[in-house]
Amino acid sequence: MHLDVAVSTLFGLLTTPRLLFLMIIAVPMGVFFGSTPGLGGKLGLVLLIPFVYNMDQLTGAVFLCAMHAVVHTGGSIPSILIGVPGDGPAAATALDGFAMTKKGEAGRALGASFGASSIGGLLGAMFLGLSLPILEPIILNFSPAEFFLLAILGITFIATLSGDAFIKGMIVGLFGLMCAFIGLDPSTGAPRFTFGQIWLWDGLSVIVAVLSMFAVPEMISLGVRGRAFDVSAETAARLEGATVPAETAVSPKVTYAQIFHGVRDVFQHKWLVFRCSLLVAAIGVIPGLGGDAAAWMAYGHTVQSSKHPERFGKGEVVGVIGAETGSCAKEAGSLLPTLFFGVPGSSGMAIMLGAFLMLGIQPGPTMLTEHIDIVWSLIWALVIANIICVIMLIAAGPWIGKLSSMKASFLIPYVLVFALLGCYLYGGNWQNLVLILGMGSLGYLFKRHDWPRAPFIIGVILGKIAEDSLQKAIGIFGAGFFLRPISLVLIAMIIASVAFYMWRQRRPNKASMPSHA
Amino acid sequence: MLKHLFATVMGVGLVWSVSASAADLNQFRGKTITYIVSTGPGGGYDTYGRLIARYLQKHLPGSRVVVRNVPGAGHIVGANTIYAAKPDGLTIGMFNTGLIYDQLIKRDGVLFDLSKFSWIGKAADDTRALMVSKTSPYKTIDDIIKAKAPIKFAAAGVGSAAYNDSKILADALHLNVQIIPGFTGNEGEMSMLRNEVMAEVGTAESMEQFVKQGHGFFALALSGDAKSLPGVPRARDYVKDEHGKRLLTLVEALSEIGRLTAGPPGIPAPVLAAEREALDAAMKDPDLLAEAKKLDLDIDPSSGAQVELRIKAALNQPPETVAALKSAAGG
Repeated sequence: MHLDVAVSTLFGLLTTPRLLFLMIIAVPMGVFFGSTPGLGGKLGLVLLIPFVYNMDQLTGAVFLCAMHAVVHTGGSIPSILIGVPGDGPAAATALDGFAMTKKGEAGRALGASFGASSIGGLLGAMFLGLSLPILEPIILNFSPAEFFLLAILGITFIATLSGDAFIKGMIVGLFGLMCAFIGLDPSTGAPRFTFGQIWLWDGLSVIVAVLSMFAVPEMISLGVRGRAFDVSAETAARLEGATVPAETAVSPKVTYAQIFHGVRDVFQHKWLVFRCSLLVAAIGVIPGLGGDAAAWMAYGHTVQSSKHPERFGKGEVVGVIGAETGSCAKEAGSLLPTLFFGVPGSSGMAIMLGAFLMLGIQPGPTMLTEHIDIVWSLIWALVIANIICVIMLIAAGPWIGKLSSMKASFLIPYVLVFALLGCYLYGGNWQNLVLILGMGSLGYLFKRHDWPRAPFIIGVILGKIAEDSLQKAIGIFGAGFFLRPISLVLIAMIIASVAFYMWRQRRPNKASMPSHA
Repeated sequence: MLKHLFATVMGVGLVWSVSASAADLNQFRGKTITYIVSTGPGGGYDTYGRLIARYLQKHLPGSRVVVRNVPGAGHIVGANTIYAAKPDGLTIGMFNTGLIYDQLIKRDGVLFDLSKFSWIGKAADDTRALMVSKTSPYKTIDDIIKAKAPIKFAAAGVGSAAYNDSKILADALHLNVQIIPGFTGNEGEMSMLRNEVMAEVGTAESMEQFVKQGHGFFALALSGDAKSLPGVPRARDYVKDEHGKRLLTLVEALSEIGRLTAGPPGIPAPVLAAEREALDAAMKDPDLLAEAKKLDLDIDPSSGAQVELRIKAALNQPPETVAALKSAAGG
């Protein structure tokens, strides 16, 4: 262990005003890029890299890491307040976060999200710090065979996430899987489901899928109703008597009390946060699975381990906590393979790797022996940035919360423009705009007729990983690839996951138990 | 007298030659040039593209050069976009030379003809190499040629430039390999660390980090240029038959013309000349060279005219080579 280095680097970061100042600047930038649908953290990194040209190694790397660390926390804001997630992991937060906003609990959802992000980020970094000595064998023992089985495990969560609508969930999930196969077949080069359209060769992007399943349907239903968001029965009743114009906002204000309530919720579910952080840090550290999958697996685990799976998607604060812990704990996870092997653990980290090289940080096994101070400084930068971010966001909470009480007539065009812009920026082709309108209408139909939409996103994200890994696993190990020890453990987990679901379905429904919240 | 006349002739000649070579760089004053990069943000092409765009702007006074990422279909969408742009010199950009393969096999979706682009220049070699894992039993290229059991190679998806490079090398050298496709980014290297695959063919630049860290070594350079990868055996020395040599010529051409800048066909000569001159000047700019060094990017420029000759030569392939390529592409 390098306990002395860990402590001294933390002390170094905290006592260097220049570094602290840069982190305080980097955090709002990260929040901005993360919270604006379509911009995203990767673009933020690309645009900021020229500014670190002349910084020294540590300063530049800490600055970029701090910005990158808070992108997902920023992304949770539009997910919760207006139901518009900017990327795959944020969609998991939107499921319960936006439902809470509709119940008038936006503040609590924000508090839970901020709290879970910071604790998740902190725990994720701590797990990785502690596992530094055994990190290499862990990373190297996961091969495409295991990626395939992990993806299958994630796909089994579709059943749990479908709630009461098992058949509908399966149909949507299978449709998502089918959409994951759009594009060139990696093993034959043949175009599949591309209808002669070259822009479909690269497949359906997760961004397009997320925006069309969540952002567009929310805005259509908002427009159809003509006023801001669903209101809880209570608020609606209160409105009945008052002479408020239909279009005026009705969401109760976000207050500090609400936000701190949400933060308290995180501490009440400390074991869940602990488990999700561990799970996601472990998945994040293995290059090849990616953060999108990690966040959804954390959400799936949260639902599965809950006593009240039927409440998820309807505004369960635990759902926000699980998803947010998931998306924030993974960053430290993807940082380490980038530093130790020079092999980036996520696409954001691939850009970061380029920046590290430019700053003269040479990733490789020597990082662990000769530059352990840089490793720890970066881990701490992730942690400190998360904490700064949460303090800033909690302080600004009531103002951020105003977004949820914006007039529908103002909100709809703003959100749709950003959703379309995000979609266009991602692929740079106008055809995606047509696609998002078509799929967005489908998403609206799903929403209106109570078909679960999360299984679609899981299908799109995990379907690709499953197919790709299966083909590689067969190529590398032959048909008996699933007989490797870790594979057998994963197969047992898949069977347990399905069996647990079936056992719970047979059990008499205990939904009438009082809520713990 | 004679001396005087000589001086006059020299002077006139000098003025003439200066005015002929110095294109009007001021014609871009107040104009915006869009520089298309055929990949998403981040990665080698994007880094080169952004660097070149910034220095083109510096050397075309009063202009603004903005980068636009047009990813899709392995650079085909970006190249199509540049090819279809208005030939006023205000839309130029960069794509992978591997598109030569796609044009040769007449791949669906290719709407361009590489022989007709207005070539502005190239920034660097893009040397292809065979990299072998340090933990593999193969220590030299001879071990690989002699191997009895199939050697597992990691490669990107079937039809990609990297996949074609692997297939061509295996074909030209009669190697006993099993190519496992579907590896993107650095996944192939990760797979080598796990001892699942033994080797991969790719651009030397993308694999350099892995070699520097001591995980792998370059077993073979697929380039005719002796400057690139000094000390590494050349593929040319191991190819015995005519068919192999022809295939290799193609890969070598791709290795020697990388990171190129092109515009749509029919850019008026004075405009093209100005852009070529600005790119040449940018490539010699000490600031650009310093920045490239910091970013660990090679700069080894060639003029637009040279690139044009090279591309046309590479496109001139006999039917057997095209057939070999088609079989590699699974078609």
